[in-house]
Amino acid sequence: IKMHEKRNTKQKNDEKTPKGAVPAYLLDREGQTRAKVLSNMIKQKRKEKAGKWEVPVPKVRAQGETEVLKVIRTGKRKKKAWKRMVTKICFVGDGFTRKPPKYERFIRPMGLRFKKAHVTHPELKATFCLPILGVKKNPSSPLYTTLGVITKGTVIEVNVSELGLVTQGGKVIWGKYAQVTNNPENDGCINAVLLV
Amino acid sequence: MALYNFKKITVVPSAKDFIDLTLSKTQRKTPTVIHKHYQIHRIRHFYMRKVKYTQQNYHDRLTQILTDFPKLDDIHPFYADLMNVLYDKDHYKLALGQINIAKNLIDNVGKDYVRLMKYGDSLYRCKQLKRAALGRMCTIIKRQKQSLEYLEQVRQHLSRLPTIDPNTRTLLLCGYPNVGKSSFINKVTRADVEVQPYAFTTKSLFVGHMDYKYLRWQVVDTPGILDHPLEDRNTIEMQAITALAHLRAAVLYVMDVSEQCGHSLEEQVELFKNIKPLFANKPLIIVANKCDVKRIAELPEESQKIFEAFEAEGFSVIETSTLTEEGVIQVKTEACDRLLAHRVDTKMKGNKVNEVLNRLHLAMPNKRDNKERLPFIPEGAITRKKRMEVDTPKRKLERDLELELGDDYILDLQKYWDLMNSSEKYDKIPEIWEGHNILDYIDPDIMRKLEELEKEEELREAAGEYDSEPESEDEEMMEIRQLAQQIREKKKLKILQSKEKDTRGPRMPRTAKKASIEHVQRKVLEKEMTDLGLDMTNKDDAHYVRRSRSATRKRKRDESVTPTSVARSRSCSRTPRDVSGLRDEKMVKKVKTMAKKAQKKMNRLGRKGESDRHIFDLKPKHLLVGKRKSGKTQRR
Repeated sequence: IKMHEKRNTKQKNDEKTPKGAVPAYLLDREGQTRAKVLSNMIKQKRKEKAGKWEVPVPKVRAQGETEVLKVIRTGKRKKKAWKRMVTKICFVGDGFTRKPPKYERFIRPMGLRFKKAHVTHPELKATFCLPILGVKKNPSSPLYTTLGVITKGTVIEVNVSELGLVTQGGKVIWGKYAQVTNNPENDGCINAVLLV
Repeated sequence: MALYNFKKITVVPSAKDFIDLTLSKTQRKTPTVIHKHYQIHRIRHFYMRKVKYTQQNYHDRLTQILTDFPKLDDIHPFYADLMNVLYDKDHYKLALGQINIAKNLIDNVGKDYVRLMKYGDSLYRCKQLKRAALGRMCTIIKRQKQSLEYLEQVRQHLSRLPTIDPNTRTLLLCGYPNVGKSSFINKVTRADVEVQPYAFTTKSLFVGHMDYKYLRWQVVDTPGILDHPLEDRNTIEMQAITALAHLRAAVLYVMDVSEQCGHSLEEQVELFKNIKPLFANKPLIIVANKCDVKRIAELPEESQKIFEAFEAEGFSVIETSTLTEEGVIQVKTEACDRLLAHRVDTKMKGNKVNEVLNRLHLAMPNKRDNKERLPFIPEGAITRKKRMEVDTPKRKLERDLELELGDDYILDLQKYWDLMNSSEKYDKIPEIWEGHNILDYIDPDIMRKLEELEKEEELREAAGEYDSEPESEDEEMMEIRQLAQQIREKKKLKILQSKEKDTRGPRMPRTAKKASIEHVQRKVLEKEMTDLGLDMTNKDDAHYVRRSRSATRKRKRDESVTPTSVARSRSCSRTPRDVSGLRDEKMVKKVKTMAKKAQKKMNRLGRKGESDRHIFDLKPKHLLVGKRKSGKTQRR
């Protein structure tokens, strides 16, 4: 089927044929450019599959578990290794309360919890410090999304009431998505670009 | 009092310099070497230190700036007003406020990043965090560029302000521009203010100092004031107004009678009336300057009436000319006297006087009979006092004579000779007289006269004329003198003794000997004391006696705690180093064995010292030869 999709097009390349008589052993075959042209249809389908968003940071390096989660040893002889501590910047909601320490598997340290992000509006070219509402998707793993880990390329939801945007119908927009553009654990701050 | 500290404000660096300074300091003063393979806590500490160091530096410097600059509320209102006029109070306060905010922001940044760095798990991450932290701090300072520039300019101007003490005696000169205020101050004090024919030559306040009645006086020269309402005044005039408003001084309102300044007499009078409220409670004198050009008597009637009106109101009008110096001293004395009287009055009315008055008491001696005894003042003092007041020179000095005669002057000391016959003063002294050389003249009776004189002196000495009064010395002094005499005798004896000693060759200095023996012999000490007269017979129990071990066991002590004289035959005042700090023999032995053990490794490896890292065998055969079959190729 694939072969059917990619037709070999043979086009006559006029420019390469020399003008005037040429001896037989110098005769080239007519320059043919064999181009594999993908059919339009396939292109369209791929685009759709990639999602409805054209994001500023399309591809990110996937973060492995060993990078994001650090093993914490517990127990009398420090043998048990079922707890994990997040080493990247994360976001926990307002009403967040920890599970009882004995049972919590993932530890999100307070020093790494951030509430605000520096969001740039791509058209206005202005940056605002907006409170984060939540983490929408972390490209590396759905586990990180549920934990609220923010790394480069994460899509977060921010509170844009400060910008004063209004819909067509007259309603005030107060939440929008933004994508993180830096490595927050290296810079100590979350820089994001608003997805308009 | 922030008065004189205006000169000691620290230099405010520009933003760029500030950043460069602090960053290079961090670079130099914190360790710079770090490797990836170090332990993570070491890496973290290394970078945290840098962040903290930078934060600390910025903080310190900014605090220094904030404390050095005077707070407008704390200084004397005269200076506060002057600074407001010159630098705009609001701008000044805002600039300092911004610096304060910057300081707090930097502190917060430092704190945050140090907190984040605790979770750094790699060198790269910690390094990036440190970079972000320092970068943020530097951006904060970059934003303060304007404030820092402004503060630096303020500081430079402040340090050049004249030091006017607002509380001391001051004379204030005011008036239109170009009337002669600066010339006046140049005449009266040692100040050297610029005097030029154009108006507003003086653009700021100037101070000069002068002496009168053994007191120091300040004379303040102000820029000229023009006649328009307060709101329209520019910075230069406002300085004059500030000085007028806040300094409690005698005001000398200078007017130009000849109208050479470009303003008529009426205008000057108008100005006077306008600023009259500022003269409340200050002694005022009207100085009619430039009288060498035109005197008041030469003025038309109406103008003269003005001056008469002034006199009527009670302000004294004095004509002066700074060119011919006429009347200048009169103005000075009048102003100073009136100011002094005014100050004394205010002090008397105040509260502090009573404290002083309570403590003063004038003691009058009791009269023992009815005879009047007036105070005796010798004639010379009275004449001299009169002359001081009149201020005439006492006598013609040689210097004056020299200045007068100029080139013709010859120093003539012979006129001061005191001869029996004063007409003989200028006679030539002959060289040979009656066949004798005058220079060889010796009185033939000179020896006899000398002997007589000496006899007289002896008689005088015997009579006790040169003795010091015994009654003037009390017992203490007598004792001290006696003691001093004894000490002197003893010293001489010692010197003689040491000279008698038979020494050949170099001798050790006393200190070395002292260290080796470490104590003064008991016998020597006792001998010296008996020589001085003390009783030293029964001194076996004295503190300076060295005792053997048995004698010291007077108190009960623990068996383990033995006296410090351990393993020594003779006790000394300083313990030898190899047993200092050790309790008993067991410990000493242990210490010795430990020392020997520590040396074993060095000896075995044949090392010359701690830093000797010479490898004798760089390519040991057992490691580098053969296939990797058996062991012995550790980490090759």
